[in-house]
Amino acid sequence: MTDVVIRAEGLIKDYGDVRALAGVDLEVHHGEVFGFLGPNGAGKSTTIRVLLDLLRPTEGRAEVFGVAPHEGGPPLRARIGYLPGELTMSGRRTAGELLRHLARLRAGAGTQRIVPLAERFGLELDRPIRGLSKGNKQKVGVVQAFMHDPELLILDEPTSGLDPLLQREFLDLVREARDRGATVFMSSHVLSEVEDVAGRVAIIRAGRIVDLDDVRTLRRHAGQHVRLRFAEPVAVERFRELPGVSDVALDGITLTCLLRGEPDALLKAAAAHHVVSWSAQDRELEDLFLDFYRMPVDVRAGQEVSADGR
Amino acid sequence: MAADLPVLTGVLLEQRRSLMLWAAAVAAVSALYTSFYPAMGGADLQSLIDGLPEELVTVLGYDKIGTPGGYLSSTVYGLLGPVLLLVFAIGAGARLIAGEEEDGTLELELTAPVARSRLFGERLLALWLDVVVLVGVLTITTLVLVVTLGIDVGLSQLLAGSTALLLLVLGFGTLAMAVGAATGRRALGLGVAAGLAVLAFMFDAIGPTVDAGWMNAVSPFSWYMAGDPLINGFDVPGLLLLAAVPLAAAIGGVLAFMRRDLMV
Repeated sequence: MTDVVIRAEGLIKDYGDVRALAGVDLEVHHGEVFGFLGPNGAGKSTTIRVLLDLLRPTEGRAEVFGVAPHEGGPPLRARIGYLPGELTMSGRRTAGELLRHLARLRAGAGTQRIVPLAERFGLELDRPIRGLSKGNKQKVGVVQAFMHDPELLILDEPTSGLDPLLQREFLDLVREARDRGATVFMSSHVLSEVEDVAGRVAIIRAGRIVDLDDVRTLRRHAGQHVRLRFAEPVAVERFRELPGVSDVALDGITLTCLLRGEPDALLKAAAAHHVVSWSAQDRELEDLFLDFYRMPVDVRAGQEVSADGR
Repeated sequence: MAADLPVLTGVLLEQRRSLMLWAAAVAAVSALYTSFYPAMGGADLQSLIDGLPEELVTVLGYDKIGTPGGYLSSTVYGLLGPVLLLVFAIGAGARLIAGEEEDGTLELELTAPVARSRLFGERLLALWLDVVVLVGVLTITTLVLVVTLGIDVGLSQLLAGSTALLLLVLGFGTLAMAVGAATGRRALGLGVAAGLAVLAFMFDAIGPTVDAGWMNAVSPFSWYMAGDPLINGFDVPGLLLLAAVPLAAAIGGVLAFMRRDLMV
């Protein structure tokens, strides 16, 4: 049986006249690392804030561990570790005092992991909060989200502000949490941040989920950039008709196209001519991600869209 | 206590330094004014007041300034004490929920396993404790000087004045916190509470001169001062009216806070 840890059904959230969520449907399963991607303002943080009962949905329903966040209350939030997207901290307290305070709010859960986690991320616990850099504040956020070994981690843009070395350390922490059975829901506006750890990924745009797939499938959809050089000019129309081939362009004797799926038909068509050189490069997932960003709002995922923005 | 009221403990730890500064300011102002009494008070002051137009004296609240209790009413208890304490309480009240929500620092506490009602309750308790401490400092400073300088004001009159002052300040401080908690807007909490406090003060001052009894009937300042607690001691009806303000504000504030969207 697959336990559903997070479920959203037709989640709608209006701020006055502005519709921030226009019917979000999601299921996050127990033990998976789920990437939640979208540009800024797409509704990532709004969705997350509904899950934490900061916001109440206008319509639809959200459930975490089978209960609505509002009904679950404090016992539900005790099972969650949350890293806010825009973490603000101030005051004279030191980082250690703040972390111990947050542990006390959890009836002491996590107190003993403050020091080891701080050491791992090179966070100085005796420095006052208000003097900390953005990166150091983010470390405080990471420590408080993970310290009590929560069953569910909700991480909003977790790697922003961390340098590359610490980003890797952070992703290790996410993997360790997954390995001990935790579920991780992490948002980002950059695919590469979640690509390495996430199993499945949802892409949200303008308050709606436009794609939901595992990272491998998403990568297959992304396809390859293929470049063929011929000895003499070729008829470009023939290549346009091939299955899985799109964005065909001919520049003199050089043909470029986007290939999704098997290369068989393309290779056979090319073999009719004298091929001087060829290359096929995996498209960055980032490009695919941009496809979804540029797509008109009501176009469904899966349709072919032009990736050309240059 | 740390284990039982973690939100309260956190607030008190965070603001311990600023509370000490406020306590020092309140003590200094109380001491300064009270120790002027032997120099200024008594018959000399009364004859000076007698020379002023009657309306002006009433508006200034100096009509009983010739007596020791009246002097304290007009100075420490009637003007600078309330002003200082209200500035503190309204500022702290507006900041403790709305201010920290606006600047984002409340987010980690709101998403911790703490019920909203509890978060509100413990932060309110922190505000109330602060005000109790500051009114205590004012009372003790005044009491020490009253005894040392031999000013003729009884302990029970002093305590009556302090109790009423405490409730007055709790009322406006709680109102600032409640409006802030209900709206998430610190400026609104500040503005509503400070505006109403100024209005209450003006109503109390000009009500008698313009012969508008309703002004005094609705002004918490009049509930505080009309019975002259520093001369006549405890004024139970006035105290009950004063006590109703923080309670009503707290209930309204927490109900609204539990219902609305946070961190928008």
